[in-house]
Amino acid sequence: MSLLEELIESGVNVDEALERFMNNAALYERMLGKLVDAVNSTEVMPAFEAQDYETALTNAHTLKGVMGNLSITPLYSAYTDIVRLLREDKPEQARKVLEEVLPVQEKIIACIERYK
Amino acid sequence: MKNTILIVDDMEINRVILAEGFKGGYEILEASNGRQAIEIINSNENIAAVLLDMIMPEMNGMDVLREMNKSGKIFHIPVFIVTASDSEKLLMDAYDLGAVDIVAKPFMMNFLKCRVDNIIELYRHRNDLEDIVNEQVERLNSLNQSMVETLATLIEFRDCESGEHVKRICGLTEILMTAVSDMYSEYHLAKTEIDKIVTSSVLHDVGKISISDGILNKPGKLTREEFEIMKQHTVKGCEILKKIPDIMDKDIYNYSYDICRHHHERWDGRGYPDGLKGDEISIWAQVVSVADVYDALTSQRVYKAAYDHNTAVNMIYNGECGVFNPKVLTAFDKSMDKIKHKNAMLQRLSC
Repeated sequence: MSLLEELIESGVNVDEALERFMNNAALYERMLGKLVDAVNSTEVMPAFEAQDYETALTNAHTLKGVMGNLSITPLYSAYTDIVRLLREDKPEQARKVLEEVLPVQEKIIACIERYK
Repeated sequence: MKNTILIVDDMEINRVILAEGFKGGYEILEASNGRQAIEIINSNENIAAVLLDMIMPEMNGMDVLREMNKSGKIFHIPVFIVTASDSEKLLMDAYDLGAVDIVAKPFMMNFLKCRVDNIIELYRHRNDLEDIVNEQVERLNSLNQSMVETLATLIEFRDCESGEHVKRICGLTEILMTAVSDMYSEYHLAKTEIDKIVTSSVLHDVGKISISDGILNKPGKLTREEFEIMKQHTVKGCEILKKIPDIMDKDIYNYSYDICRHHHERWDGRGYPDGLKGDEISIWAQVVSVADVYDALTSQRVYKAAYDHNTAVNMIYNGECGVFNPKVLTAFDKSMDKIKHKNAMLQRLSC
């Protein structure tokens, strides 16, 4: 199986993403590689732990945009919910969504790293 | 032609996607924060559009919009907000600050390209139209100027003694009007207004075209009756201007009309044709009066020799040519060197 095939199985909308990348699959894969760093530099959980909800919101917002642009739909949906809940001043619920999605995120990141 | 798209986003992934989408049709520049974006916008003349992320370190998207408002760039460069945010307030604020469109992340590249292409095309048209309008305004102004000068030349032809008189009046009016405007806040005028007044001063004697040669060019003192006729050149000038209001700009027409009618009024109310007194006379008519008298004194006429500068100035201060606004005379005094220099230069030219 290829990286893109595996991602499709994890719920990534590869077709939509390729449209956005002007059908340049190589570039899409390269940007998926960059996602690993992006996720590491904008981790949301430490901000929750420090109860720094402003940073949590900024980072979740950044990841929402990136996940959306790469069409990683399950993560995009989760970060969309987290941003909304934080804006609605519901940090506990937001944290719960994050806790649920982190294993999915780890799986997708691990998959990408395998093909690097 | 402006052909560069500036992509502003702190996430490289987002910048790469946009760059890939637009690279065929445009040059691409990238900035990873608002500060870099502003530096590029201010130094690059070829930016056709900005794709701007909202939430960034250093300066965010709103700060960039604010800066572009301050510099006026927002009116010439379309800014697209590309954001994952759906906060209504944030998006409304962005529109209020002049963003042309808001694109939600994730976006459909083909639609985004169409939207950006269309707006860039629209801005190109608008900017081209602005250039065309500016060019035409410039041509109209220059046409205006030449119409006014043509009229003035006609008078010079009739009044063979005045020669370069109108040109000197222009120079003197400019010096004196600027000095009065700078020295007295109540008479302050913008440079653009002073320029119009200077242009208008050219026509102050247009009414002389209606005065017969016998009186206009009489080589001696006028009789009382002849002087009464001569005085008519002020109102006759206005009648001429009234018949041709459309050949000149409305402001120039208004200034010309006023100067034409009132450049022989005097501060004490003893001038003509209306016997206006003090500041009933507009400051520009007062200024042209002094310029006109100074020039008449320092020029040779059929009925008199030219007085030198000092004699002319003394005659004006002594009230031998009527009473003038003391403030205008003070400004005249302060500008003496400039006036002397300019007048000597122009008198030489007319010889």
